[in-house]
Amino acid sequence: MKKIFSVSGALSIAYFIGSILLLLGLWSLVSAFTGQEIPGPAATWTVFYEMLQDPFYDYGPNDKGIGIQLWSSIKRVFSGFFIGSLVAIPLGLLMGASKTGMRLLNPLVQVLRPVSPLAWFPLGLLAFKASEGATVFIIAITSLWPTLINTAFGVSSIPQDFRNVGKAFGFSTWKYLTKILIPYALPHIITGLRLSIGIAWMVIVAGEMLSGGIGIGFFVWDSWNGLSLEKILSAILIIGIVGLLLDKLFNALQRFVAYEGK
Amino acid sequence: MTPDKLVDILNTPIPGKTRRPVSIDVKDVTISFKASGKGVFTAVKDINLSIGKGEIVCIIGHSGCGKSTLMNAISGMVKPSQGEVIVDGNRVTGPGPDRGIVFQNYSLLPWLTVYKNVYEAVDAVMPGKSAKEKAELVAENLKMVNLYQHKDKLPGQLSGGMKQRTAIARAFAINPSVLLLDEPFGALDALTKASMHIELLKLWNLDHRSKTIVMVTHDIEEAIFLSDRVVVMSDGPAATIREIVDINLPRPRNKKDIVHLPEYMDVHDRLLNLLIKNFSIEDEGVEYQP
Repeated sequence: MKKIFSVSGALSIAYFIGSILLLLGLWSLVSAFTGQEIPGPAATWTVFYEMLQDPFYDYGPNDKGIGIQLWSSIKRVFSGFFIGSLVAIPLGLLMGASKTGMRLLNPLVQVLRPVSPLAWFPLGLLAFKASEGATVFIIAITSLWPTLINTAFGVSSIPQDFRNVGKAFGFSTWKYLTKILIPYALPHIITGLRLSIGIAWMVIVAGEMLSGGIGIGFFVWDSWNGLSLEKILSAILIIGIVGLLLDKLFNALQRFVAYEGK
Repeated sequence: MTPDKLVDILNTPIPGKTRRPVSIDVKDVTISFKASGKGVFTAVKDINLSIGKGEIVCIIGHSGCGKSTLMNAISGMVKPSQGEVIVDGNRVTGPGPDRGIVFQNYSLLPWLTVYKNVYEAVDAVMPGKSAKEKAELVAENLKMVNLYQHKDKLPGQLSGGMKQRTAIARAFAINPSVLLLDEPFGALDALTKASMHIELLKLWNLDHRSKTIVMVTHDIEEAIFLSDRVVVMSDGPAATIREIVDINLPRPRNKKDIVHLPEYMDVHDRLLNLLIKNFSIEDEGVEYQP
């Protein structure tokens, strides 16, 4: 019979609780040192709890519930991430599969990769004439690099053995791509996507602070203008938790496509 | 008796053997690679070898003597720098479905099931066949190697022997006229290896001994048990064929019995002499100290 409570399971729960307590302790300490200028956990919880009571209220353009803000951010992140991946995966395949492609594109990648998302924002505004398009644009362009690089690496690292199978049995290009190259590179691609979604989620806050309107980033900025530090701290917690969940999602996907050790 | 005379006796042709049509003809093949620095590295030089249809030939030699390179020239994975390889009357210009390959490290695709690994090869080689025909072919070949009940497993869930049986089933399923095996049983333990030999001969027999089998190995017993002829390579670089030793043991061979035959022991000694210089520490000039 399988044990429901294993020792290691109980231990990891204990560590998790310990880590939460550590956070709350440090937070209270900082709050006490600043003379409650930065609100402590208890004060934040009151506001946080209130926010969760009606997360989807909508009292006009500048007053919407946290749920609506969060949902619009998530939609934006995924559309930017989706567009970025749509560019990154084929380009990565090309870079990994051909030496010419690698030599031609690699300098470009190295130059554009470290550019801050905020630097892209004016270009996005110019191109799309709207802050919405610009926000999606900066998410796409800053989140595509890890996927691009990991895909290229995955494809270029395919062992000779697997390529030989395709050669020996006369696989067509299509069969080679779908039965050998992509299945081999898939775990690498998903690793890239996992890093990319992390970046996309980081960029969203900065993007929405600039674009305004709606979203979790806008909510943070709006709360600063309304001088509600409790709301900002609540938003930080929410951003962290959603980021963690996104990472877990891609982690699960990663385990799903892993073919070794199954 | 001198070793040379011994080989002469063993070379007495057996009826029917010499009338075999030629399956593989290796003509004056030299294979060189560009070395990592400057200059070229010659792996094998001036190889001439003619293999009859349905013959089993083992290529044996020390590590790095170019046996796999020679094999790759037959499979078409490597282009000879000089000379040519003819298989069934056609010049080899690249890998082809007339030559089934079993790789040293199995080379199964780990994301595909046993069934799919064989199926994709069949599908690539025989696109004209219907899905049903292809499925039957795969099933038949998996049954031949006793793996049909494991057809939905991934290669990672199989033992080494099962993996290699899958690879052999894959090579047989495309029905090639030539089967090329590159140290196929090198990674297996002695017991599994022995049963794989029987398995391979069974498949060859079921196919009316019509497939030509070329196998690279460095296991003398394996070479004798399986082959009609053993090609002994000299040490590289620029390795050549040192000698071709005929194995005139009657088939079907019994692993347990043949080792007691005088012919077996003679051939075994001959191959050992060709491959190994020193047989004890005394041959190395070291005095044994009890």
